[in-house]
Amino acid sequence: MASPWAVPPPPGTQGQYAYQQTTPAYHAVQVRQTFNQLPHSYAPIVQPQAPPPPPPEASAPRKKIEWPQPVRNYVQRSFDPSNLIADIPRPEMELRLKQTISAATDSNSLHTIDWDNLPLPQEMIRQERAQNAAAWRQESVNMYVAGNNLASPMDVMSKKRKSQEMAGDEDSSPNSPWRITNSPNGFEDRVSFQPARDRFDKRQQPFQDDGAPKNSSKFQKALEKRQRRFDGGYKSSYKRSPSPEPTIGPVVGTCQTLEKKYFRLTSAPIPSQVRPEPVLRQTLDFLKKKWKKEGNYSYICDQFKSMRQDLTVQRIKNEFTVTVYEIHARIALEKGDLGEYNQCQTQLRALYALNLGGNPVEFKAYRILYFIHTCNRTALNDVLADLTKAEKQQKAIKHALDVRSSLALGNYNRFFRLYLDTPNMGAYLMDMFVVRERLAALANISKAYKPDVRLRFVTEELGFESDADAAQFIYDNNGQHLLEGREDGLRFLTGKAGPLFETAKVAAFGKVDIKGQI
Amino acid sequence: MDPFFTHFKEAYGSGDGYALSMTLSPLDTQSQPDRLSSFFRSTNAASAVKDFKYRILYDNTNTFKLSQDEGNGWVDVYFAYWKVTGEILNAEAATKANEKVSWISVYEGWKELTNQLIRGYTNCEFEAWTVPCLYMVGKYLRIFAIKADEGAANGTSAVTSFQDDLNPEAEKNEKLEDAARQLNRIFQLCLSDRAPLEESRKWGIYNIINLLFKTYFKLNSISLSKNILRAIQVYKGDMPGLEAFPMAHQVTFKYYVGVIYFLEENYVESERHLTEAWQLCHKDVKRNKELILTYLIPCHLLTTHTLPTLALLSDYPRLQVLFLPLSRCIKKGDLSGFDAALIAGEEEFVKRRIYLTLERGRDIALRNLLRKVFIAGGFEEAKEANATPVRRTRVPVAEFGAAISIGSKETMDNDEVECLLANMIYKSLMKGYIARERGIVVLSKGGAFPGTGI
Repeated sequence: MASPWAVPPPPGTQGQYAYQQTTPAYHAVQVRQTFNQLPHSYAPIVQPQAPPPPPPEASAPRKKIEWPQPVRNYVQRSFDPSNLIADIPRPEMELRLKQTISAATDSNSLHTIDWDNLPLPQEMIRQERAQNAAAWRQESVNMYVAGNNLASPMDVMSKKRKSQEMAGDEDSSPNSPWRITNSPNGFEDRVSFQPARDRFDKRQQPFQDDGAPKNSSKFQKALEKRQRRFDGGYKSSYKRSPSPEPTIGPVVGTCQTLEKKYFRLTSAPIPSQVRPEPVLRQTLDFLKKKWKKEGNYSYICDQFKSMRQDLTVQRIKNEFTVTVYEIHARIALEKGDLGEYNQCQTQLRALYALNLGGNPVEFKAYRILYFIHTCNRTALNDVLADLTKAEKQQKAIKHALDVRSSLALGNYNRFFRLYLDTPNMGAYLMDMFVVRERLAALANISKAYKPDVRLRFVTEELGFESDADAAQFIYDNNGQHLLEGREDGLRFLTGKAGPLFETAKVAAFGKVDIKGQI
Repeated sequence: MDPFFTHFKEAYGSGDGYALSMTLSPLDTQSQPDRLSSFFRSTNAASAVKDFKYRILYDNTNTFKLSQDEGNGWVDVYFAYWKVTGEILNAEAATKANEKVSWISVYEGWKELTNQLIRGYTNCEFEAWTVPCLYMVGKYLRIFAIKADEGAANGTSAVTSFQDDLNPEAEKNEKLEDAARQLNRIFQLCLSDRAPLEESRKWGIYNIINLLFKTYFKLNSISLSKNILRAIQVYKGDMPGLEAFPMAHQVTFKYYVGVIYFLEENYVESERHLTEAWQLCHKDVKRNKELILTYLIPCHLLTTHTLPTLALLSDYPRLQVLFLPLSRCIKKGDLSGFDAALIAGEEEFVKRRIYLTLERGRDIALRNLLRKVFIAGGFEEAKEANATPVRRTRVPVAEFGAAISIGSKETMDNDEVECLLANMIYKSLMKGYIARERGIVVLSKGGAFPGTGI
């Protein structure tokens, strides 16, 4: 699920990012103070200015102009000491003010600009700086992402292009202050999105920031500001922007190439890089052949992930989707990649609920075995709740349920018989936990049988292929001294084995690898 | 509007937090069947703020004087409340007319009310005795979220994410997950209050925690409850003991903690908390006692191997249906009957998340059966006339096997019988060892079945 923690990060952990984010939020106050106006009323009015103003030197000699009152107010406000910003030198501010007004005069928009709501020159400058900084950071983030995914230089290039497309058309000078004021914080959004690990950490420590001192007024203010940001007070100005939002709806892809490297989305998908369903079908055939011929898992996994991504962004949900996920799940199982397998399985569960075909029985059985492996009792309970009576009678599901109940009741005899007779690819999953169950059974046998048993008995009870395998297993667990040769063959000295296997069993159950579990 | 603010003034004047919280209730009351609609119609969007301001801040008949900050804070709260009242009335009218109702706008309005209230505490110095308002708002936030999600099911969701795969769960519970986040903010608001204890919002914490637990259970993300428990563990030093809180908060909290431990298979801790909840629970709240017993009975079965008495269950017909058939089979040592009863009740057991626990009751049924075999084996032939008789402690595996196979169509082979016996020994339900070559079980002379008298 999405993180339920709406807790702002502890102060300082976001460093500059946090500061940059609050900048646009701060401007929102200015906008909203005029309570009865639409928050973005000035945006369209500014538009006519879009062509960059000619530099003031170049313009024709100015005649005396009667400045309208709003302009006078604007100038007055610009010089109001309470509006001055410490780190922006006054000359720079004055220059910007001059530029702004002369640009307006030149374009004859003196009377059309909403001077009351136009950002003050010092604010424009600050915005610009912030944006430059953000752009610079975005660049380094791109590098970082690219490096991490071993993407080709081409990918980096295309990502950059994307980010520019996001910001709007390039013709209208990207540095115009009014543009920046309204313009999407596309960069910053993504910067704060980017280091996924950072976000994760925040979620992990939801209670940290309470410890911070409350009495510091500066901190208090920052805190309130942040809180307001979270409870939606500034949402309108922070989130919305005149440029179109990234499309939420499904994309229709136009890409015609079969292969595509997987790249985690950080922004809205671009149709030209998304393959439509007919192409994806060809891709699947192609990949199946390639998998058979080459068996290169890292390549195949990458390709399947990009296929899944294309399906998702286009919201394609049909029998083909099911097939893709099923095949990827099987390949992942075969290679013991439980993380990918579990992702597929989670999707398959939702897809089967839509009755799109596929092999629900086979995969529901895997799902049960998977949760046995991860010792996830809650999930097992949910699986039981999901199954219908008819499904419980299906061979594969019944097998998995029997496995579950035999383990719940400690019936290792039955468990290993079931192990040797597993339908479909379930054995790949059972192999994951068969070792620990063998240790559990040996701990059990060691306590219950005295003084010893024939090794043959262990071999049969624990589903080993041969006595040699059984002996090897005992050897591997440091039980050399527990085997003794007699005339009638090797014997396993149960009387002395108890503590050894008990310890080994506890250790084996202590570390269940559940990577990739959602 | 005046009757509405009369309530506010009375409650505020007397410092009665619960009475004050009632003014934020989204329901009509018996004495005022048109409470919401008359309040909503008493003013309009243009003048509501002005009206409220006058009554809260400037009315000379008020017995209290609010600071500007606090007064404006309450005005914002009641303005948000007034707005959401309109949404509620709309939704209810639509329900009555059997039209399609969307509770989403009610939820959003209620969330805004929640925001205003939280802001009141953080920025406007709302006092701690008013925390019952948080209970009221939190309670209905959850309820409206559930209603909104029900309505929105299979609607178009605006969840934007760049995930490679869709997340069906998140779309189904979008509002409730949001509500959980808001409740968590209230939790933080109470937890992080640094005011001295007498006037601390910490006194509201357990009520909010209980709401959070409830929400997490509904969202099927019970593991998140552990974070809450960890957080209050950290703050334990500066918090009043649980026993100082209202009884209702204590009981609910203990119940949830007990169930959380239950689901983690920590039956000892679970039993401890559930027993406390059971003892503190008000004697007339049958429903709650029934809920506690639903988990306490399986706990007892595993920790002490005891079954509920008929007298205990006599007041709870639902629990009788749930537990009696299994109990009888366990007592008799009737394995096939036990299996049948488990299958028969599976759906209900799974729903209440007790199936996997009850299943383990089979061990006790098996123990009782083996004990019967042992008793039926009688005594050794006495070597001396007057010696105390000694039970026959060498029992052939086949005898146990025969007993286990009663009632099932096929005979279990000896290896599997041995496996079950080994389990009994391993779990210390039976004392002795298996001598495999001779095909017998050698049971302990002193207490072959610990805790059962033989």
